[in-house]
Amino acid sequence: MSSEVLASRALKKHFPIKEGVLQRVAGHVRALDGVDLAVRRGETLGLVGESGCGKSTFARCVAGLMEPTAGGVYYDGRNIATLKGAAFREYRRNTQMVFQDVFASLNPRQLVKDIVGRPLKIHDEASGAELLDRVVELLQGVGLGREHLYRYPHQFSGGQRQRISIARAIALQPEMVVLDEPTSALDVSVQAQILNLLQDLQERQGLTYLFITHDLGVVRHMADRVAVMHLGEVVELGATDEVFAGPKHPYTEALLTARPELAEELGSEPAPLTEGRTPDPAQPPEGCRLHTRCPVATPACGWEVDDVLWWLEHALPEAPVGVVARHSPFHAELGFPDEGAAAAAVAALEREGQPLRPALERPRLSGVRVDVRLRETDPAALEDAGGGHLTRCIHHAPAQRRRGALGAPDAG
Amino acid sequence: MLPAPRPSRLESARVRTRRARELTRETLRNPLTLGGLIIVAAFLLMAACAPLLTAANMPDAYQMPRDWQAIDAPPGTPGHPLGTTSTGGDVRYGIIWGSRMSLQLSLLVVGIAVVVGVTVGSLAAFVGGKVDEILMRTVDVFLAIPELIFALAIAAVLGTSFTNIILALAAVFWVKYARIIRGQIIHVKQNEYVDAARVIGDSKLSIYRRDVLPNSVTPVVVQATLDMGTVVLIGASLSFIGLAESGLAEWGVLVSEGQAGVISGKWWVSTFAGLAIFLWALAFNLLGDGLRDVFDPRSERR
Amino acid sequence: MSVLASVEELRVDFHSRKGVVRAVDGVSFEIRDQEILGLVGETGCGKTVTARSFLRLLPTPPAEYAGGRVLFRMDGEMVDLLRVPEDQMRAIRGDRIAMIFQDPGKALNPAMPIARQVGEVFLQHRAAELLAEAGLELDSVDPVGRAVLRRALAQRSRVPERVALRLPPLRGRWRRLQVALDERVARALEETRIPNPRKTMASYPHELSGGMKQRVMIAQALACDPDLLIADEPTTALDVTIQARILELIRELQDRRRTAVLYITHDLSLVRRLCDRVTVMYAGRVAESGAAEDIFARPLHPYTRGLLGAIPARAGRGRRLTAIEGSVGHALHAGDACRFHARCPHAGPICAERAPELAVRDVREHAAACFLHDDRVALDPAGRPAAEVGG
Repeated sequence: MSSEVLASRALKKHFPIKEGVLQRVAGHVRALDGVDLAVRRGETLGLVGESGCGKSTFARCVAGLMEPTAGGVYYDGRNIATLKGAAFREYRRNTQMVFQDVFASLNPRQLVKDIVGRPLKIHDEASGAELLDRVVELLQGVGLGREHLYRYPHQFSGGQRQRISIARAIALQPEMVVLDEPTSALDVSVQAQILNLLQDLQERQGLTYLFITHDLGVVRHMADRVAVMHLGEVVELGATDEVFAGPKHPYTEALLTARPELAEELGSEPAPLTEGRTPDPAQPPEGCRLHTRCPVATPACGWEVDDVLWWLEHALPEAPVGVVARHSPFHAELGFPDEGAAAAAVAALEREGQPLRPALERPRLSGVRVDVRLRETDPAALEDAGGGHLTRCIHHAPAQRRRGALGAPDAG
Repeated sequence: MLPAPRPSRLESARVRTRRARELTRETLRNPLTLGGLIIVAAFLLMAACAPLLTAANMPDAYQMPRDWQAIDAPPGTPGHPLGTTSTGGDVRYGIIWGSRMSLQLSLLVVGIAVVVGVTVGSLAAFVGGKVDEILMRTVDVFLAIPELIFALAIAAVLGTSFTNIILALAAVFWVKYARIIRGQIIHVKQNEYVDAARVIGDSKLSIYRRDVLPNSVTPVVVQATLDMGTVVLIGASLSFIGLAESGLAEWGVLVSEGQAGVISGKWWVSTFAGLAIFLWALAFNLLGDGLRDVFDPRSERR
Repeated sequence: MSVLASVEELRVDFHSRKGVVRAVDGVSFEIRDQEILGLVGETGCGKTVTARSFLRLLPTPPAEYAGGRVLFRMDGEMVDLLRVPEDQMRAIRGDRIAMIFQDPGKALNPAMPIARQVGEVFLQHRAAELLAEAGLELDSVDPVGRAVLRRALAQRSRVPERVALRLPPLRGRWRRLQVALDERVARALEETRIPNPRKTMASYPHELSGGMKQRVMIAQALACDPDLLIADEPTTALDVTIQARILELIRELQDRRRTAVLYITHDLSLVRRLCDRVTVMYAGRVAESGAAEDIFARPLHPYTRGLLGAIPARAGRGRRLTAIEGSVGHALHAGDACRFHARCPHAGPICAERAPELAVRDVREHAAACFLHDDRVALDPAGRPAAEVGG
């Protein structure tokens, strides 16, 4: 038995974007773009992020509901895509899931006893009277009772339905339960009941949880370690207490702006995201994916031609600008309606374009065109900032700092 | 000591019948629906008791008995309460035995159409991709053709026996179900309970049977009810045009036979037969609408 | 601080096939000038119904205003909004009292560009000023033209009139009006920190992000400088990082414009940061009210205590959260008893017999509807409210 119940390596999931009458593939939404994450036996790993960050997609890949585009999910050391027959059944038994939508996660036409008993029937664990007894036991374990056996889901409240879902998930005594925002749709007091229940069950049955949520308070309460996701990547990973005491990524801090009381150890109020270009999930930035909205972005964070365009659109709204020739994300020729506009744009960039400007080599003006070239940047890598606390941010990641990314290039 | 709990299968059955009763009560709450149900029940009764109501004609019960003494007899003539046709066929006999024909026709056509349609639609929804595209475009083509014309064309090719008419109509009606079930399945598949069943480790077929199909089937039921009425209408139209054996105890045939007489004042043949067709179609329409009203809010209510 | 609005014993019933539910049962509270009052509660507590009563936005049937008054100060007098004639109500909506909703996507008309939607508010309430800003004297126009312009301002133009507006001599005047209108809209959008107002004005709602749409809604709401802004869970549907900025914006605008805000939410931590005073509702009644700090530091009502204890991360990691057992469920039919008594850990005999009244506890007007804090009620040896003392 390895110490890791489930792990993902370089996990990628891209969804094709189909356009036109013939439904041609025009691009891919990069929902997961290289995620390395391992869930250790007995822990609760929290996964936080906003909508679109890929956390739900990750949950589905880990639970075997979606096939990855690249990379793999490993159960007990083996790639689940290669598992067949008994081995695959073993994986299925041990990886269960509780969903966010309490209404849609139970078949409205099935009785509770059938819903909860189904996993046991499928895996031939019990039948007949013994099955019924097991089901009653499970229901009692989640705070329901025998009287609920012969009822339909619609006769229960949201909190009760989630309990039924949980009973179903633990019926086979799995090693791991993936919880995809299990309490987001519930009232605070009901959420408390469910969270207490989940904690009790974890203690009693030795469960491992992958707990996905957007609520930082919940993750702080429940998780031993927390991973913060943004635009398909993990941007920070560490022990919960450490991450909250001192977040090492501006995105984590931005998340804390909604719950500043959780970040009391921070010296000051957490900094929110700034106005900026929202990156396209089909074409994420080459460098750091947060740089367009980051309050502490540096010139080395991966500024691109599209950022220059966005900046010009906002600084000089009346002057339309277009890309005449795009050589790479970092090098392109911009076209302006007339020479005056082009000159004005260059002047404005010179004067005001922080922190963009230092990344920009002197823009070359020729008539109505401006040749724009920016410093090429490597993708921001996830690094250990000390004691197992990983981050992608250049301000905390030692190797990137050493590479001289900040300021003048280093010799070494 | 607690009493032994009831056997679970019995208890499940009890709960399900209770739910079915509630559903029925809901359906009957609407007076129009209730009216439709009553008329349908009356027709079904009539069809079932046909031999009791009038002696079956020999050798073929579905051929109108001819009374050569009473040709074009108006209603009220002794022995022919609803009158006779220009060949002495008893209208009352035709109406009663015609209901049997209508019932057979609608059950068989709708039955075949549902089975074929649901199979094709399910296939399209599950396999997806090119298969889905091809199947659905075929369905679109079929749907573009008016039902009557289509049935006519097929019947003209196949021939006019009763079996052929059934096949022709089934070929026309199945496409609706394919589209309905495909749309429903795609919608239902998005629900998390389908994912949950996969995570538990259930097989695709079992998931289809227990999760997808039961939750997709309601619009099919509604449409089937409505189609029971429409099938008879179209069948009657085909007979009216002449695509059926003459002398058949069938409503459409009667309308056709009585048509010439209408101008000369012999209204009863076409009128009574036409009334039967109208009532049949109306009744199933009301019932189907009522079912739709009952099912829709229920499927909305979680 | 003087009182801007006051809800007095409001009662709202909902009629359904299964009977009548009293969603709001004797709710009373005050909103003072320039303050942010938080109205907090969970699902089914009646906060949204209460809020919508201010603008009479509930469809009647199935709703019915069964009693009480909603007073609002207009021109120095307190007017009962529940009894005001409909055309006066229309004049109030958008002008004196404005509302923003939870889902900005649903509150904006998908078929209209933003400029028109926000512009509608100005046309509705500020037509005279628009004319002045456009430098138009209606008297200099011929009577027919005057009528056409007036109807255009009231958005009642028929097709031939719209054609007429595009032809001289009316075209110039109409264009000047449009320019004045656009100017106002742009300014309103700028105030809500929308980066490129002119571009946003030309867009349709589906082209904007959730945060932007919410800003547009706020701009629209504050366009005519209302005295009271009602915000019904405006950030619940937004991403967490955007929430913070919208809250900041609301605070800033409230500060600058001196608008009073009635902020409805179920999120207690949010309320703590934003609101001056708080009213906590449970099952159609007010459970507790007072200054935000007091409520958080010294919650009086067992429900409030339970609610605060249920917030994760306040409890400290790993420690159990206070779980209020049971659910709201049948509390709405409780009749004459404390609505919370079935779930209350401190419930006593008297709690099942009578409904406690909201009684003020201290000078800062911290009040709770609970017998535990009622001096007239004695506690039994177990510390539960037993019976009334004295006469």
